[in-house]
Amino acid sequence: MASREVIQYETPLSRAFRWFSAVFLAFYVVWTVLPLFIMFMSSFKDLLEAFKLPAVGDWAGVTVFFEFTPTTKHYYELFARLGFTTYLFNSLVAAGGSAVVSVILGSMCAYSLSRIDFKGKGDLFFWIISTRMAPVVAVMVPLYWIFRQLDLVGTLPGLILAYTTFNLPFAIWILKGFFDNVPYAIEEAQMIDGATRFQALRAILPLVAPGIGAFVVLCILFAWNDYLFAAIIGSGGAKTLPAATRELVQPQNIQWGQIMAAGVVTTLPMMFLGLVIRKYLVTGLTMGAVKE
Amino acid sequence: MDLFRVRQFPDSVESRPVPMSVTEPASLNKPRSKSFYFWLMAPAILVLAFISIYPFFWMIYMSLHDVDIGHVEWNNFANFIKLPSDTRFLMGWVLLAQYSAMCLTLQIVIGVFLALALNGTRLEKILVTTLLMPMMMAPLVAGMVWYFLYNGTFGWYHWLLQSLGILGPKSILASSNTAMIGLVLVDVWQWTPLITLITLAGLKRVPQDQLEANMVDGASPFRNFVSVTLPNLYPVLLIAIMLRFMDNFRFIDSILVLTGGGPGNATKILPVYLFEVSFKFFKLGRGAAIALILLVVTIILGKLLVRVFDRQQPSKV
Repeated sequence: MASREVIQYETPLSRAFRWFSAVFLAFYVVWTVLPLFIMFMSSFKDLLEAFKLPAVGDWAGVTVFFEFTPTTKHYYELFARLGFTTYLFNSLVAAGGSAVVSVILGSMCAYSLSRIDFKGKGDLFFWIISTRMAPVVAVMVPLYWIFRQLDLVGTLPGLILAYTTFNLPFAIWILKGFFDNVPYAIEEAQMIDGATRFQALRAILPLVAPGIGAFVVLCILFAWNDYLFAAIIGSGGAKTLPAATRELVQPQNIQWGQIMAAGVVTTLPMMFLGLVIRKYLVTGLTMGAVKE
Repeated sequence: MDLFRVRQFPDSVESRPVPMSVTEPASLNKPRSKSFYFWLMAPAILVLAFISIYPFFWMIYMSLHDVDIGHVEWNNFANFIKLPSDTRFLMGWVLLAQYSAMCLTLQIVIGVFLALALNGTRLEKILVTTLLMPMMMAPLVAGMVWYFLYNGTFGWYHWLLQSLGILGPKSILASSNTAMIGLVLVDVWQWTPLITLITLAGLKRVPQDQLEANMVDGASPFRNFVSVTLPNLYPVLLIAIMLRFMDNFRFIDSILVLTGGGPGNATKILPVYLFEVSFKFFKLGRGAAIALILLVVTIILGKLLVRVFDRQQPSKV
């Protein structure tokens, strides 16, 4: 990066800015991490210990946060008693299934869109992207009605199909950019050597494989983190982790320890996956408009 | 000083006319036979049609009927006629605009500032990774955690706000004046890092020679930021704004957990109201009418967004 640096001279203003930004940065990092940290710690606390707070204005009393005997009973209860094994499985199947379906169909479609021009391509493309951007609640109203008639409400295939409404357009849109970067000349060369079109496509797949892999992961992330579809389309038979977490909130006694434990179970795998595909994250989250 | 002013080169690389190519065959880089590709496209298009066009027609059909489970009846556009006099529908738009405006302003200001503070520092990589963590979290779980933090009797953030003298004993979510701010803070917590990431990517592309030239002319770092960095960031920021704006329409998970639209209707932004009408009261016909309007607005916004995208990458589409 050395070549990119511009030697800046110090003025009082820029020095003030540096100090201020360092302080602000430190403050912001704490603000970002603190909720996650509290969630993590609370999941190991007994109910009464999680409710302990110092008196208002008693700044020295914050140490009560660390006064507890760690227990894993919430995790144990989630999986042993509350059926979270099933919900974890449902989440995995629904998110994984829709990601695989979306990326397979999506890369076929994206490849073709990247290779040929035809009349109305721009419109087709806009239709695809607007499907992705439509508000989830709005999409769900007719989808719920259709799925009811087809008996898909409360089933995993129904949920997979529902997640495909946002994952498939995402995959097409973003993978087209990947195929655009592979010159058609490679396939031409293959075909001159006697390969069929399909074999030529297979030959360029290794070039886009890392990207495709990253976007499978990103599709999993989007589907895994969804709550609305899971709550309505998946209600009953196909409860996923977020939907199950929500149901732990009962009007009478809210089991915070269990809820926090469920939060940790839902969040940790996704954070790990996020780190794995860190390189593609910005591209993915900005629909390919920004590249790092 | 004039000696050092950057000369305007009339034929910079972009504006230099491309020589008409002598050897341009009819179809270089594009296959001639298209049928193979149409077949490859077909499955995705069919699936997408089933989950987007087919429901769209159903939505129109439902919006014109009274829809109950097992009972559908034509109702002379009543769903639409009632909307202009439905205060919660109208307020839903106002609140959605308020919510988006507050979220976006805070996120852009903080996000850009963070990016500037982080850019080029030694800790950039590790700090960016740390800031990424909330984005990986399910919005619903984020809502749950913040619900816990805001809680009036045992929430740590409530204790903090109370101890600082900002809030009374009432939780931030319990009063209709402050509930919206509580929701905005959660969105800011979760999504400001995205703006930071996008801005950082943009900052790497600010032409360093322009910064240098400006400095040689005696510009201060602040002046440099305003007249070189910011104009170069503008396109990326536009994308960030549009993306976040669309997401404010799309996701209501955390709001459903935190306030469910209350207290009263103080945080019932339009998508939340739509959710309530459709899936709490199961007035699916009315819901479809609202959904249709929301969808049309989103599509118009989407059209704008795609135009912005195209300007970024003229080679696309």
